[in-house]
Amino acid sequence: MKAKNGISKGEKKVKGGKLIRCEVRVKEDRIEEIRFTGDFFIHPEEMLEKLEENLRGKNIEEAEEIINSFFENIEGIGVTADDFIEVLKKAVIS
Amino acid sequence: MKFRLIIHGHRNAYENMAIDEALLLSGKPTLRFYKWKPSAISIGYFQSIKNEVNLELCERQGVDVVRRITGGGAVYHDSEGEITYSFVCPQHFMPEKILESYKIICGALAHGLKKIGLEAEQAGINDIVVDGKKISGSAQTRKYGNILQHGTLLLQVNVRKMFSLLKVSKEKISDKNIKSIEERVTSIEKEIGKISDEEVIKALIEGFKENLSIEFKEEGIGEEEIEIARKLVKKYESKEWNFKR
Repeated sequence: MKAKNGISKGEKKVKGGKLIRCEVRVKEDRIEEIRFTGDFFIHPEEMLEKLEENLRGKNIEEAEEIINSFFENIEGIGVTADDFIEVLKKAVIS
Repeated sequence: MKFRLIIHGHRNAYENMAIDEALLLSGKPTLRFYKWKPSAISIGYFQSIKNEVNLELCERQGVDVVRRITGGGAVYHDSEGEITYSFVCPQHFMPEKILESYKIICGALAHGLKKIGLEAEQAGINDIVVDGKKISGSAQTRKYGNILQHGTLLLQVNVRKMFSLLKVSKEKISDKNIKSIEERVTSIEKEIGKISDEEVIKALIEGFKENLSIEFKEEGIGEEEIEIARKLVKKYESKEWNFKR
């Protein structure tokens, strides 16, 4: 669903019931703004802000790689890199 | 293993979260019980306050809203209808895997609840259920080499009120759905009738004692922790923190 300011949204309820939402603004195939929200668990928590920062300016393929390597360095409880990639893609194509 | 036991009465949302973070920073093995006044909603670290909370209604009803340092979902902390616990210890007291440590801490809580006649068991990552109905949810973080896990235990439950304060789709708050959610959530009062906070806390303490071989000594918060908490209150009261997502 495209909302105000060109921001599109995607969401996914993962197995176990946690919700991941992604709000993204893409310009000329590059991520301009991105934010993941939801009731999931990631440790250390602050790393998610770093991930979002690293995703800015990247295209979707690059974003996939970044998300995959992010999950190698953090502990996701009940959420995986694939869940985050899926919700990002959902947001982008919405 | 020796733990400090802190039994706090009511405090506001910002003080409660500031104290929990101050305890996490100090890392002194601690079990704390507390309540919230005014009633409040705490949201998970990653949640969007605007997506999750009916801010207008909260303001009208004098319900505080605060972002936690822990992940997980939004919780309505009714000033009388729930008890919150926090459990703090150095990280090396617990398994490296977070999921494992949830099991240990929630397991101790469930064991405690059995002592007051509840057939409680751990479910999912961070819940405790009685007969398949949720009665408690917890959230854990690890920082400064220490662990903080805090969670809610429902004494009474008012699903309709809870959902009016949270942003739940209109469809979900239809009478039919309220009924179905009421069937999936329970409280101590619903299960065994009204019992005092003291009895509940006593049972939970026993659960920790027996499951984790912990000895407790009732104490207050240290001077240094109070000083840190005082500073942290400002963070938890700030728009910058609460509206960061």
